[in-house]
Amino acid sequence: LGAVTYPDERVARFIDLNFIPVQIQTSNAEMVSRYTVSWTPTLLVLDADGKEHYRTVGFFTPEDLIATFMTGKGRWYMDTEQYPEAQGMFEEVQAAYPGSEAAAEAIFFHGVTRYKMTHNAKSLREAYDTLAAKFPNSMWTKQAAHYRLINK
Amino acid sequence: MSLKICWIDDLAKAQETAKRTNRPILLDFYNPN
Repeated sequence: LGAVTYPDERVARFIDLNFIPVQIQTSNAEMVSRYTVSWTPTLLVLDADGKEHYRTVGFFTPEDLIATFMTGKGRWYMDTEQYPEAQGMFEEVQAAYPGSEAAAEAIFFHGVTRYKMTHNAKSLREAYDTLAAKFPNSMWTKQAAHYRLINK
Repeated sequence: MSLKICWIDDLAKAQETAKRTNRPILLDFYNPN
């Protein structure tokens, strides 16, 4: 990540606008134990209390990092009950990176967030239908498959 | 001048900033070797 992805200006701008960036070396045993880190690179999204909301392990191209952590920030918005902001972020990922796995995850959680806002289960069915049409082989489509039983 | 990520190495300080700015923290565990 340090050789290619982090030096990319789009990545730097995205992280600067959306996150407080912290780097910790794996020699920091207390932190490695606190967050159960067993491989690098591991990236976490935390809230202001240090609680984890999103995790990835492995490398990213600049585009994939931005798409993945747009979704990651959406998950943080969702977990902290900032639902309109979560919806906006999930929609942005779909618009900017429509073919990415992060977009599939964003469709799934867009449906979940809409359900949390409206308590209307149709939003979950719509998320499944969109996933099945756009990402027939994604694990997010499989994980949403139960929602196909909800009436339109 | 190119834009660079301003990483910090102090999680407690990052948490204070996160509280003040309503932004999440991106925590990168890395192995420099």
